[in-house]
Amino acid sequence: MSGGGTQVATTKVMRVVDLDKSYGGLRAVDSVSFDVYRGEILALVGDNGAGKSTLVKALAGAQPPDSGRIEIEGRPVQLRTPRDADAAGIGCLHQGLGLVDALNVPENVFLGRELQTKILGFIPQLDHRRMRERTIELLERFGINLPRLNDAVVRLSGGQRQTVAISRLLLQDVRVVIMDEPMAALGVEEGRRVLDLVANMRARGISVIVISHNLEHVFQLADRIAVMKNGRLVGIVETASTTRDAVVRMITFGQLH
Amino acid sequence: MPSQTAIAAANNIGHADRRWIFEGLGLTAVIVVLAVIFTLINPRFATVANFTNILTQASFFIIIAVGMTFVITSAGIDLSVGSLLALVTVIGFGFIKGGMHPALAVALMFALGGFIGGLTGMLIAFVKIPPFIATLGMMVGLRGLALVHSAGNMLFGLPPSLTWLGQGSIAGMPVPVIIALLFALFGAWLFTHTKFGLHVRAIGGNREAARLAGVPVNFVEVMVYVLMGLVTTLGGLIMIARIDSTQATIATGMEIHVIAAVIIGGTSLFGGRGTIYGTVLGALLLSMMTNALVIAGVDFFWQLVVMGAIVLIAVAINNLRERRIPTLALLWRRQPTGGGVNNSNPGG
Repeated sequence: MSGGGTQVATTKVMRVVDLDKSYGGLRAVDSVSFDVYRGEILALVGDNGAGKSTLVKALAGAQPPDSGRIEIEGRPVQLRTPRDADAAGIGCLHQGLGLVDALNVPENVFLGRELQTKILGFIPQLDHRRMRERTIELLERFGINLPRLNDAVVRLSGGQRQTVAISRLLLQDVRVVIMDEPMAALGVEEGRRVLDLVANMRARGISVIVISHNLEHVFQLADRIAVMKNGRLVGIVETASTTRDAVVRMITFGQLH
Repeated sequence: MPSQTAIAAANNIGHADRRWIFEGLGLTAVIVVLAVIFTLINPRFATVANFTNILTQASFFIIIAVGMTFVITSAGIDLSVGSLLALVTVIGFGFIKGGMHPALAVALMFALGGFIGGLTGMLIAFVKIPPFIATLGMMVGLRGLALVHSAGNMLFGLPPSLTWLGQGSIAGMPVPVIIALLFALFGAWLFTHTKFGLHVRAIGGNREAARLAGVPVNFVEVMVYVLMGLVTTLGGLIMIARIDSTQATIATGMEIHVIAAVIIGGTSLFGGRGTIYGTVLGALLLSMMTNALVIAGVDFFWQLVVMGAIVLIAVAINNLRERRIPTLALLWRRQPTGGGVNNSNPGG
């Protein structure tokens, strides 16, 4: 099912085995297993209620699964909190972006991982200067142009906010980045810049799992497409060897062919 | 493109959103204009003695309003500050009258203030009682405890070492004013330059995002109210040192004055944004107005009416600024910030 046979040469970064999550009687995620390879973009598609968000929440440590195994580079990990996911090298870009509007760019990028310095040798104080410098470095490394770092992020455009949220993830040594509808509500130009950024991340060996409703974006972006229906993983297909019609059929009928 | 980023960032020195500095200047202008008007109405307003008096009056409010700035920025509110002040001062005063060493009594006052603040914080963070209701309950309950403890009696006669805190002066500057200004500086540092301050702004701005980022939101929320309790105790200590007495009804209605100072100072009632600088100016403005009303011979009951109106106007302005009034918000459209590829305006 996982399509691993054709990708023997690449290394597995993440392995998900028999993941289950139920809400009351509803099996929102039903024994889902798949692998993620280094530096690939894996799109996760499916109708509303197919279980994409629940699956992603389990991978991000936001909602622990009932059973199943998650491995990162061969090591099993327990993801009970967002912190656990952080430590495992999994970064998640939430649909609401998870930014604090009133804080500026470096404060948002470093929130929860603040750099501190000591004044008089013992009083901890935020190191605003170093956080700003490291933010600039990070933005330059990924070719992001943000004009006003010290503005509250509420005053940035949708695409700029998106890049701030992504910068937050790139700050740490992240292996897998999960993005929930990263292109929603972005203009064409801004959407293209986010696509560039995702490609840039792939070039640096970061694996990206993207949830999207927009099949056009999915076909532009993804190396492989995973389709879910009713909590089950219908299958994973390589973008290069499938068609939109085939994917639509998988989404609608829940069958591989 | 990278160099543009660098240039743009280099032009933004400091970390604060500059808009708030301009608002601070606006408030300063309001204070100056009002001071001129009050002086024209009654020249007695513009005497050194009267200004000293205003500053001293403002000092208690500045101290407590600095704490309230943290509370409101965390998207909370604390209505119990006046009652807490009454309870810790009647208990502390009682200890001293009972022969306890003043230093120990003061230490116990702070411990009690911090402890009660912590209880309030836990009711809010863990029992999930909305801050307004939790602190309303505390406001009534703590006032009751203060009345029970003091049996309605007035206490007076502090040792000189304590009254100096309220009545002394250093180089002509009253000690309460010095303490208030030092404390405001400390508060401003805590607000913008520490992890705690950043976390307070984060949980007030977007609690869920802060949680996902790994901020210990409940702990920070409890600590905000612990801080409020400690700060209220400090304000209370200086207040009773100033008047050398206390009673269970002291500081009745103080919460509205303190909250008004914070809101006038530009802190958002919806959390996330605020400045200590604005709060200090807000407290000064209020003390100045109260003083001017007294000098102008305005009846105390009418002073209350004016006070209430000021609070409502301040909140209305706050809502306007936050664009929370739908019909007016439409007229106040922001111009879009540059999102194009060629962002050739680094000077901003």
